[in-house]
Amino acid sequence: MKTAILVTLLIGIPLPIYSAGKRAELDGVWILLRADIGKFRLTPEGEKKRAAYDFQKDDPDFQCKPASITRIMHTPSPPIEVRQHQDHVEVNYEFMDVHRRIPLKRGLAAKDAPYAVRKYPHLGRSAGQYDGETLVVESVGQRAGVLDTLGVPGLYQSDQMQTIERFIPNGDRMQIVVTHEDPAYFLEPFTVTFNYVRLPGGKIMEWNCKPEEATYEKFNPQKK
Amino acid sequence: MHRKAAAAALTVGWILLSCFIVTAHHSVASNFDQGKTLDVKGKVKEIAIRNPHSQITLEVANSDGGTSQFYVEWSDKNALMRRSVPVSKMHVGDIVTINVNPSKRLPNLGYFRTATLPDGTILRDCGFAAFREGIANGKTGC
Repeated sequence: MKTAILVTLLIGIPLPIYSAGKRAELDGVWILLRADIGKFRLTPEGEKKRAAYDFQKDDPDFQCKPASITRIMHTPSPPIEVRQHQDHVEVNYEFMDVHRRIPLKRGLAAKDAPYAVRKYPHLGRSAGQYDGETLVVESVGQRAGVLDTLGVPGLYQSDQMQTIERFIPNGDRMQIVVTHEDPAYFLEPFTVTFNYVRLPGGKIMEWNCKPEEATYEKFNPQKK
Repeated sequence: MHRKAAAAALTVGWILLSCFIVTAHHSVASNFDQGKTLDVKGKVKEIAIRNPHSQITLEVANSDGGTSQFYVEWSDKNALMRRSVPVSKMHVGDIVTINVNPSKRLPNLGYFRTATLPDGTILRDCGFAAFREGIANGKTGC
């Protein structure tokens, strides 16, 4: 609890001090109700990258590649699934078939953890632990590239990006508060709060993205 | 001359459509006028129920006796399945009337609301927002 209060004072981010629910409530399938994007200030380099962003060339979605965990969670309709185990947590995202495995091992630093998504190593390495009833996931090692194309199109991240995700249970509601820290492109940490509602009986389905369908190349006369 | 003009117009149309559809990937609300509706009658040329967006291509009759294509954007396949939308009731070759929210930029593009099938059945989809609202209010769907 002291840690959460200290972080709030230092960086001005309204982190919840404690969860209203129990950690077991995190298990389940969830759909996004709303995403609240906090204020952010970019470095000159971050501004330059954002100004140069061209979604037709730069959006990894069109190659069926998930840009980042934040970008994945911004997609409104495909749900996510959380499954907690003794030594790890699975987070399965329907969008782009991302299956993430986060180890829960006391003292394990994210930098020493294996890639969280074997299929997509650019999403980095993650390690989890509990802070009371809140699951806290720290991630590092994300590769430099596009951070977001939907919530805030054209945000980039460097390979210095570090994120902290706080999975906060509250019965049939769940919040995931993601704090992003990347001194190369952001002047200060910024947060995105994803608010979820439980999808009773929900299942994660295969997304099966095909680049030839995602890119809409057939509508581009230059490529015909 | 006329052919060149028509080809140029078609090329511009394709480019605009290309830009539009890619943009549409990012937001339905910002690209379709949800305050307006339009009935489009035509022959179903293609039905692509897929992720990340589905698309129906209609062949519609023009006043000059020719035909042109109208594109209907729709939700991703998984969302349609989750909302139990009976998409298999519509077939290639069917003459249908699809009610859409028109594109804010292009005259031959819209977002699906309902479809009246050849036997008069109306194919409905409540949409993701209503589905989400239903779940949030303790229902099993829309």
